[in-house]
Amino acid sequence: MAYLENAKHSDPVRPGEQWFFYWKTSAALWESRILQFPKEEVIFIPLNWGFHGDNPGSWDFGSTLPERDLLRLTGLLTHHGRKFCWILPLTAAPHLPNGGAPAFAARTLAVARSGVHYAVLDNEMNLNKMYSFFEPKIFQAFTEFLKGFGTFLGINKIKSPVWGAQFYYFEEGELNSFFEDSSFAFEQGFSRYLKKNHPDGTELTNPFLENELKENFSKEVSDLFVTTAEAALGPFWMGVRKIVSLGSGPRETILRSISSGKSQLEYTRDIFYHFVNSNWISSALLSTDEKKECLSWILGEHFGPREIEEKYNYQSYNSGLVEEFKPFGVIEIFNHKKQTECLKSGLISYLDESFRWLYHVQEKLPFTPEWIDSHHQKVKIFVGASLDRTTFAQMLKLFLMGQTVLLDKTGLGEGLDKKLQIFLIENNLKIQSVNYMTPTQLCELGEGKLIIFEGEKLHENPAKEKFWGHIFKFLNLVQPEIKMDHDVFTMWRIRGTSSHELSYLDVRRVNIYNPTSYKKTVTIKTNKNFAFMKMVDPTRANAKSNSHGVDVELLPHGKIALDFGHYEER
Amino acid sequence: MSLQLIYHFQTSQNQDTEFRPASYGVVYFFSESGFIDRNLLKEMSKTVPEADHERLTFLSLDDLKIFALRVCQEIGELEVRLISVQDYNIGLDGAKDIKSFKALFEKYGELVQNDSAKKKGLFSKLFS
Repeated sequence: MAYLENAKHSDPVRPGEQWFFYWKTSAALWESRILQFPKEEVIFIPLNWGFHGDNPGSWDFGSTLPERDLLRLTGLLTHHGRKFCWILPLTAAPHLPNGGAPAFAARTLAVARSGVHYAVLDNEMNLNKMYSFFEPKIFQAFTEFLKGFGTFLGINKIKSPVWGAQFYYFEEGELNSFFEDSSFAFEQGFSRYLKKNHPDGTELTNPFLENELKENFSKEVSDLFVTTAEAALGPFWMGVRKIVSLGSGPRETILRSISSGKSQLEYTRDIFYHFVNSNWISSALLSTDEKKECLSWILGEHFGPREIEEKYNYQSYNSGLVEEFKPFGVIEIFNHKKQTECLKSGLISYLDESFRWLYHVQEKLPFTPEWIDSHHQKVKIFVGASLDRTTFAQMLKLFLMGQTVLLDKTGLGEGLDKKLQIFLIENNLKIQSVNYMTPTQLCELGEGKLIIFEGEKLHENPAKEKFWGHIFKFLNLVQPEIKMDHDVFTMWRIRGTSSHELSYLDVRRVNIYNPTSYKKTVTIKTNKNFAFMKMVDPTRANAKSNSHGVDVELLPHGKIALDFGHYEER
Repeated sequence: MSLQLIYHFQTSQNQDTEFRPASYGVVYFFSESGFIDRNLLKEMSKTVPEADHERLTFLSLDDLKIFALRVCQEIGELEVRLISVQDYNIGLDGAKDIKSFKALFEKYGELVQNDSAKKKGLFSKLFS
């Protein structure tokens, strides 16, 4: 059973997240491999664009090699009634040989920040080397491919959506794009960029200025790949997704090559980091051995078909609660500047202690009707430095809609600060002010709450977490209290009640995972608002209820899920 | 079992009126059990007083070797291979899979042996 479960999550042709690597198997086997996907799942087909080109200007979609016959592939998918879409790499892609670049254009190997060439071990332990996307020949080839592929889709009337994908790796706590490069090709391109933008010459004596110019150049070229793809595939274009490829960084390549490998614990830590930071992941590079037990459970239970299809807008969770479990979180933070302010104000460390993995950090506010509805109950936290006029206006709208909004004024532009004062006066809002560690204002309008504070004043305060304790006590976010080791991981889900559970407001399920080789214990206090209902699917784990809640014992690589009924405090 | 150290050579730099001399910096330092703890590396770098212990940079290749050997002794490994980023990249160019990737360290790395560990045979280990 465990073998089958692992096999489901790792297969060179179906490496995870519903991806189908058509070039990794004989075209004669496509049909049988397609039929291995559950019928209701959308099949994602990453385009190995370099695989379709032998010479510049000549692109083959099936006339010479059957494995390039995308018309036959789409015919099979359509014949079997499968929904599918393409994933087009907009950066070097770690799962593709040469990073996706065709052999005739692969000239200069890309160089990572640490100075080493990008080289990634795939799920069969072959080494994929990445070529610089700053090499003009690659852009030229990419443009030609897009033209050929767009024509192919148009002529054959294949109405399948195309998603652009930018690939990232995670190293030393930071996300790094595979587009980032410091190779000779990049330097040459940068030199041309400088000549074009500073025809009178510029002296790069200041390294900060040089870095800034290099970042601007890199962004311009990256945007060029996106806009070119969008223009060429207009009718089919769905947008761009950032994908963090697990196990793909230069450091991870070394770690994966040594006998100890990258541990389940390290992968789990990374996955939970990405979960909190709203990064979408791909496990396509991980081998069966790497994707065993905890990792396979976490990927299957929390990054499965439902989450994948939500991420690609195929379906969204109901705004209300139904009888099906859906991901549960209580706080959304909007801060595009790498959480710096949230870290300094003590918010993140407080949340890691009290609402671990129940918060999400996002770069952008997805201000869509569906998102507003489905995230209505969550507390939204904004940092002034990250706000532009649009997001600022949307933030105030959320408050007017009856949502709870916290605004850390740190870095808020003068213009927006004035707008805020005008908003408060124009709406005749009654302001309650307190000065506990930092000046804090509370405004209420119907169900809406707007709390404004100066997070900067908390930076040096050693007791800053107490501030957050008071804020969240005031907001009354009820949640079972969990005491556990930092190497134990939990993921919460929520559902509505069924007809025989009417005494509850909702039912919450916590999945607990122990990816370590040690025995771990977890204590859950139900407090006044929760009742333990049942344990689900224990594997090398056990739970005992007591008057305060539940005590859980997890053996190495164990897991368990527990259901709690949530009722109103009497 | 051996340790592997990938280093890079950095030319001298003037940053914010601060002059940084040319140096050899540690990029990756690992054994078959994983990466070596950075705090341990910082501590061991103190064997070379002229080194920048925070950034783990050394003024000469000889200093880097002294440091690498000290780490080797501390961990009790028999040898350490030092490989420059340039040689690592050359090796990567020719590597195709995990086997050839692992072989590049042997092919291009400069071996420094920890003689003290070699001398310590099973007999002496039993009585130490």
